[in-house]
Amino acid sequence: MIKPFSLLTTFTLVVSIGFGQGFSDQSRMATRLKALESANPSLTRLQSLAKTVGGKDVWVLEIGAGDRVNHSGIAVIGGVEGSHLMGQELAIGFAEKLLANAQNDSIKNILNTTAFYVFPNMSPDASEQYFAQPKYERSANANPTDDDRDGKTNEDPFEDLNNDGLISWVMVEDPTGKWKTHPADSRIMVMASLEKGERGKYILISEGTDNDKDGKFNEDGDGGIHFNKSLTFDPPYFVPGAGEHPVSELENRALLDYLYERFNVFAVISFGPSNNLSDPWKFDKLKNAGRVPMGILENDARQNKIASDLYKKYVTLKDAPVGPTSKGDLSQWAYFHYGRQSFSTPGWWPPKFEIPKDTAQAKKYKTNEDKNTDVDFLRWAEKENLDVFTAWQKFNHPDYPGKNAEVGGFKPFVKTNPPFKMVDKLVEEHTKFIVSLAAKRPDIDLINVKTEPLENGVSRITLTIQNKGLFPALTEIGKNNIFNKLVKISLTSAKDQSIVSGNKITLLPNLEAGETKEMSWLVKGKGKLTIEAGAPQAGVKKIDINL
Amino acid sequence: MRTLTNILFFLLCSTTILAQDAGGVFRAAGSPENPKVPISWNRYYNHAGITDICKKLSASYPDLVKLSSIGKSFQGREMWVLTVTDFTKGKPEEKPGFYIDGNIHSNEIQGTEMALYTAWYLVETFKDVSFVKELLNDKVFYIVPTINPDARDHYMKEPNSPNSPRSGVIPVDNDRDGLVNEDGFKDLDGDGNITQMIRKNSNGRFKKDPNDLRKLMQVKVDEVGEYEILGSEGIDNDGDGRVSEDGTGYYDPNRDWAWKWQPNYIQNGAYKYPFSLPENRNVRDFVMAHPNIAGAQSFHNSGGMLLRGPGAEEDIGTYNADDVRIYDAIGKKGEQLLPGYRYLVVYKDLYTAWGGELDWFYGGRGAYTFSNELFNSYQYFHVKGDGQGFGQNEAYDFDKSLLFGDAVVNWKEFNHPQFGKIEIGGPKKNFTRADPGFLLESDAHRNMAFCIYHAYSMPKLEIDEIAERDLGGGLTEVTVVVANKRMIPTHSSQDLKYRIERADYITLEGAKVVAGLIVENRDLNLIREQKNNPAQMEVENIPGMGAVTIRWIINGGKGYSIKVNSKKGGVTSKSK
Repeated sequence: MIKPFSLLTTFTLVVSIGFGQGFSDQSRMATRLKALESANPSLTRLQSLAKTVGGKDVWVLEIGAGDRVNHSGIAVIGGVEGSHLMGQELAIGFAEKLLANAQNDSIKNILNTTAFYVFPNMSPDASEQYFAQPKYERSANANPTDDDRDGKTNEDPFEDLNNDGLISWVMVEDPTGKWKTHPADSRIMVMASLEKGERGKYILISEGTDNDKDGKFNEDGDGGIHFNKSLTFDPPYFVPGAGEHPVSELENRALLDYLYERFNVFAVISFGPSNNLSDPWKFDKLKNAGRVPMGILENDARQNKIASDLYKKYVTLKDAPVGPTSKGDLSQWAYFHYGRQSFSTPGWWPPKFEIPKDTAQAKKYKTNEDKNTDVDFLRWAEKENLDVFTAWQKFNHPDYPGKNAEVGGFKPFVKTNPPFKMVDKLVEEHTKFIVSLAAKRPDIDLINVKTEPLENGVSRITLTIQNKGLFPALTEIGKNNIFNKLVKISLTSAKDQSIVSGNKITLLPNLEAGETKEMSWLVKGKGKLTIEAGAPQAGVKKIDINL
Repeated sequence: MRTLTNILFFLLCSTTILAQDAGGVFRAAGSPENPKVPISWNRYYNHAGITDICKKLSASYPDLVKLSSIGKSFQGREMWVLTVTDFTKGKPEEKPGFYIDGNIHSNEIQGTEMALYTAWYLVETFKDVSFVKELLNDKVFYIVPTINPDARDHYMKEPNSPNSPRSGVIPVDNDRDGLVNEDGFKDLDGDGNITQMIRKNSNGRFKKDPNDLRKLMQVKVDEVGEYEILGSEGIDNDGDGRVSEDGTGYYDPNRDWAWKWQPNYIQNGAYKYPFSLPENRNVRDFVMAHPNIAGAQSFHNSGGMLLRGPGAEEDIGTYNADDVRIYDAIGKKGEQLLPGYRYLVVYKDLYTAWGGELDWFYGGRGAYTFSNELFNSYQYFHVKGDGQGFGQNEAYDFDKSLLFGDAVVNWKEFNHPQFGKIEIGGPKKNFTRADPGFLLESDAHRNMAFCIYHAYSMPKLEIDEIAERDLGGGLTEVTVVVANKRMIPTHSSQDLKYRIERADYITLEGAKVVAGLIVENRDLNLIREQKNNPAQMEVENIPGMGAVTIRWIINGGKGYSIKVNSKKGGVTSKSK
């Protein structure tokens, strides 16, 4: 039994390879991955599973000692959303910190019994936009698509109208506009509420022109299909980013093909928009009233709670906003279709902003009556001296000649990616969480083995099979899924032995956390026989018996 | 050397004697009396045979057939597609396309011959039948005889039953014990067929039918039985207490399509994700590359059913009233053309099937699509039996009286390692689901006629009218009526709902366009202007047996032309 946490404190002392001053582009990501592989040849295997349409590698780094395919595994996936650079950093950062501690006893123990599959970036085409001009939040891969389904492809992209290298926002004063400024901070635009008798004053659009003159702005730019919108659970049909059908793209197929052949994976941890670690998915009978389950099953919800409690123990960020699932996303695929424990978190979110109690300080702020998150985010960022906002500036918009137009607003990426100086601590905390989860993996053991000689060369073998982990061998959702292996107990007898009673092969539908099951056989004959029990995702235990 | 010459001489003769002497035949109505490519339609063809027929057709009719491959199967066989149209008239990609495939389920073999028959019939009758000539002028057929060539050959060459393998041949661990295909059927008597195992048992509930001892029948409730049924031929290879629980496959290629796909624990047979099977991915690629496909049929067996979606009740909203009217019209015609066949809806009349091919063609591409369950027991004695083609009594009587016992293996004793003394026998794999030889051509022809009716109903666009009115000042108002002379619209309502294919373009070339208008009601002058790019007017749809009206205001008057370009409706043009 592993004591997970006493020895993990050393993480803070580790300086990771390649950890620099900013997020990594794909060439730097490749350098960091290759450095890990060459520093840890016996513990790792680096593979490029596919090249995207944009020519980028889809990497997976396998980590673990010995016979990885028979060790319970955890898949760790970043780059779920192309604009979420933090997700990539958490995934590669986990690998770096784990391997830097490979000689530490508790980590060594984990590496000897657990396999990790780290996919640092599932959206490499999209994430490169962070490093490109113009810089904008992109989820789409490089496959050209007709996003607005008008028969033309990529015909209406963004334009950097103020030449600041960023795509931000444009507001145009117009009586047909639906937007107004926020009472607590006039830089923040909000929709006018008809119910409150408010009237809009501005049109708000993303930065660019209406290239194809269809009345819509920037609705069909570069690419493409979003990795996190194109998986198989409750997929959206014919919406921008979803493609012509789920799993149409090379990167999606590469991940699924790889994971469907890794029967040992018991949990998928993904860094993306949905968050069931701060707030676990709850069982809801209504969602599962039909024949297609649309919500987490009752027993699996308990495991999600266990994982969430662990997460909140190690990850100290508080007040997570709701991180909802979305149609065709990874976190739901991993649970509903792959049939594994699926845990997802964005890994960072802006903390809550409270107006200081100090009256002198408090005077600076107008009350944010409707608790507008943009207002609070900007206040927090300014308190921390972060550059997240471009002041609105008057300019002439070519599609609105003669109108009052301003360009500015929030800079791309700032709301979902932390300032880089915060990353290391977050990586460290998430690494501790993953390692603690690994220590609680399903873990099958054979105990209380007893042989009793009966008469005339017949012996009775009795033993107990036990799952000593904190997770069941199979999720409830995966129990009828052919891509989840059952727990198998097989007895291999020698030539001159015969099984008088008991099965040569027994398949158990599941073994819950802590569950035990007693088995017995009557065998005639002398000599050695072998009993093997387990499942790839729960470990395999083998014992020899001499009769 | 002499022997070699003899062989060469024999080979030469054998090729020349294939075609009949034209002087020695007399035409039967509706069939080519002396086809350039003679094919026996009373037998089945494996992949080598299919390849041979495809090559002969394309070599003999280069202006009517082009042979290409849509890709390779899992084991590397070419997946042939025959493109059939009049290549001398227009571009194939600019004609409404009709897609046909067969044999998605490995044991459902006759779809392949029926697909090949369709190609063969169209090209062999082209010169004599003006209807066919016009059809191939207007439309293009994409015919993929088998989309499952690996497992077709497995069915024919390996021991199998009428029901196996339904799956393709990618190995799958069916019983989830970590081993793949470790315990499949076993041809115990070595006759190439997987038949039934029965054992004498006074506690069994069956007996041999005194009128036909080859047939097992259930005894009455209060009657003492003589036999028990042990299942299909096999043994427990892996010692897990189960017989034949993990054989070839298992996945269902018809649960692998991208409209409302569900995983295997909801939809048995689903593989990893939509188009995770290479054969289906090849079809997907082909269909996506041919957006002109407006109708499709996929050939299965059996039971005589002309099936449309939805496959699942939850998807009922996808099939809306406008499209169902068209499905109904085609399906009802099919019932007339194919005696004993019924037009049915999958989820309601058969069973739930998520992720089926017909649902993707319709839901994902907006193309009206049927699955045809070929052959039915009606064809045994032209009596409506149980409709499933398995009508046991009829099948045995039919075999005895019309096939003279060729289709059933008589009971033979066998010493089974686990069951002891048993008997093995029953219908051969080529009986009960596949058409018997002499019925195959007839069933193929009727089924082809159903496809042709469906294909004929795809859009045919014509410019009915170009009317001019002088507006003065050098301006002319041009009003154009574009009609669709067939039942199927250029966009099904599913297509319109999701904008699957772009709008139809109606373009005026050769004059300066001042304004472009879509005329919604010509009499009441309800019109709508298209401000952007008025020379190329975009209309959402050209309805079946209906028309759209476009109006332009142009500067100058003569020598312009109107061009209509619809992805699924084809192209047409007229000059003024």
